[in-house]
Amino acid sequence: MSEKHGEVTRRGFGKTLAAATAAVTPAAVTPVAAQIASPGPGQFGPVVVGNYRPVDQIIMGGIGIRSRGMADLRMLLGDDRIKFVGIADVREDAREMVKSTVDGYYKTNDCKMYRDAAEILARPDIDALLIATSDRWHGLMAMWAAQSGKDMYIEKPGAMSINESYAMADNIKRYGTVYQSGAQRKNQYAFEFAVGLARSGKLGRLTAVHADTAIGLGTVDEGGHSWWPEEKPEPDPLVFDWDKWLGPCLWRPYNSSYKDRGRGQFWDFHAGLLEWASHTVAMAQWAADMEHTQPVEYIPEGPNFRGDGLIERYTIRCRYANGIQLILRNHSWRLLGSCSNLFEGTEGWVEVGDSGRIEVSDNLKSLVPKKTGRAYDPTAEHLREFVSCIRSRTPPRANAVATCNTHVASHAAWIAAQLNRKLEWDPAKRMFINDEEANRMRSRAYREPWRAEALATSM
Amino acid sequence: MAQQTPGNTQAAPPPAAKPKPKPLPTIPPELDALPIWKLGAPALVAMVKDPKSTLFQKAIACKKLSIVGGKEAIPPMAALLSHPQLSCYARFGMEPNPDPSVDEAFRAALPKLTGKLQIGVINSIGVRRDAKAVDALAKLIDHSDPEIAQSAAASVGMIGGPHAARVLQAALSRTQAPVFPVAARAMLLCAEDVIATNRAHGLDLYRTLSAETMPKPVRLAALRVLNEAGPAPEYTNRWPAPTGEAAARDKSGFLGR
Repeated sequence: MSEKHGEVTRRGFGKTLAAATAAVTPAAVTPVAAQIASPGPGQFGPVVVGNYRPVDQIIMGGIGIRSRGMADLRMLLGDDRIKFVGIADVREDAREMVKSTVDGYYKTNDCKMYRDAAEILARPDIDALLIATSDRWHGLMAMWAAQSGKDMYIEKPGAMSINESYAMADNIKRYGTVYQSGAQRKNQYAFEFAVGLARSGKLGRLTAVHADTAIGLGTVDEGGHSWWPEEKPEPDPLVFDWDKWLGPCLWRPYNSSYKDRGRGQFWDFHAGLLEWASHTVAMAQWAADMEHTQPVEYIPEGPNFRGDGLIERYTIRCRYANGIQLILRNHSWRLLGSCSNLFEGTEGWVEVGDSGRIEVSDNLKSLVPKKTGRAYDPTAEHLREFVSCIRSRTPPRANAVATCNTHVASHAAWIAAQLNRKLEWDPAKRMFINDEEANRMRSRAYREPWRAEALATSM
Repeated sequence: MAQQTPGNTQAAPPPAAKPKPKPLPTIPPELDALPIWKLGAPALVAMVKDPKSTLFQKAIACKKLSIVGGKEAIPPMAALLSHPQLSCYARFGMEPNPDPSVDEAFRAALPKLTGKLQIGVINSIGVRRDAKAVDALAKLIDHSDPEIAQSAAASVGMIGGPHAARVLQAALSRTQAPVFPVAARAMLLCAEDVIATNRAHGLDLYRTLSAETMPKPVRLAALRVLNEAGPAPEYTNRWPAPTGEAAARDKSGFLGR
């Protein structure tokens, strides 16, 4: 067959492809590599799957990576589907620690450092972000990442208020990005097993899902809304940028104790119950097949409620519209480790925790695998799921909608505890029913100049 | 078969001995929020008004007024909108208050402020979706400070509605980076709001946002909505059903639609 003008034959296509690929391939890449590389925009040709060449790798950056973030980063670096290229942090020591880790792993000097997250968000070559700032920044960072078209693995909690939870999830949906919250227990065997029992009917008809929400109320913020440690001179912003560290939180005078310890005791920096609820309420919602909604009723119980947030022993009994109860409590667990969950049905129960042990009712003991009971960190698996979802464009287990509904439920429970009264919630209208004070507590105004670009929920 | 331990509170083994709690830090009385937090609205309003009150007292009073403050709490908090440190506390106290006087106070403060403090008020107007402020914000989209212009565009988008859409369409035709991408995102919000009440107008806005000139994330977001809505008639009518001999050849019915 001859080549006619304007038509491309099979042989001609090969030449065209080679020429086109050569035109966009850096000189350093060998012609062989160029031929098997995936096609660029506007090109045609084979897509390489499972053999990740530099052009196929997911390019990642990081924002606010220190202790927990470093653990994530080390696990992420082992995944050859990604390449980590830059870090933004308000702390000079944190920037340098990440750069030295990344460059040491790749044996290069390529990891770029930025003081301002906006600079890394503006890089068009970065596909995805690892975000592990302090809690107060998570919601806004997620929104900014989505608006920049970037996928994200973001440490929990995901939002500081009910309205921020919705704004986050709405932005992720609007921009179609992949969001994985750092609720890594969603990929931990014991928890998966317990959720499986609940969802497969082995517990009979589900009656209650319990979540250990532990700290959050009892130890946080004695005095309801904080005190101010003594004012100290602000450090050089090049070393530690206090204004950006505070971010959307209300202004307060600088004191070095904030950055190294003790943030959790201040309401301004804390997301209420969500230190643990981000994990355990997420699990409970998953087990109850309620990840798409929230309970409609919240009843704080316990003699120690004082109404100013100080509680030593608490139970917050919540109810979904279908009658299943979500019970948040910090007491009377079987000592299976932190972040415990108990799921109860008409025909049995299961309880799990971070120890990896699985306790069940007698009739279900034969279902529990013998080789369990090992405590392990499932974060690597959770990160791998995230990277796979970047490629498949499917929502991971700790996606934005599930995270949003977990957070709305947990914030609503916390508001009920703070007000020390029963609250009713309308998930469709995103507001409490006939309780103006509670409705006012759905949001926290951002300090200037920060803003969330979102359609505000019902006023 | 009902099983044991409903609620798990009876059968659970006794908890291990509690670890000794960390000693709480010593809180200086003048920086302790608890006494202020326990005050009622009238006392809190008086504290915000009182020139002798400290920065800390006014700050915590505004925080509590965010929950319990009524109409009478608005003027004293609005007076703090020009305060470099307390402006954020005043906005924190005012933003969730449903009284319409909050919108009036923000609108009145808007032309009197500059820089970050003006941005804060612009953002609060957006959160409250105050449609009466759209024209004032429209003027600020052309402000020489790009951060003010960006905030104004974002707030117009958050307010939403047909008038806001017109303002943003005009802004998209005359602004450049760094204001243009924010105006495009604002228009995306606006389109989402408009399509809920006027589908045809909403789809028109999304078509505008799907242009090649738009920032890529905005363009992709608009295309997703348009894809979900289905092809426009001009595309579905481009390939008419085959007739005559061609239709006879097509036994599958695939081409005939």
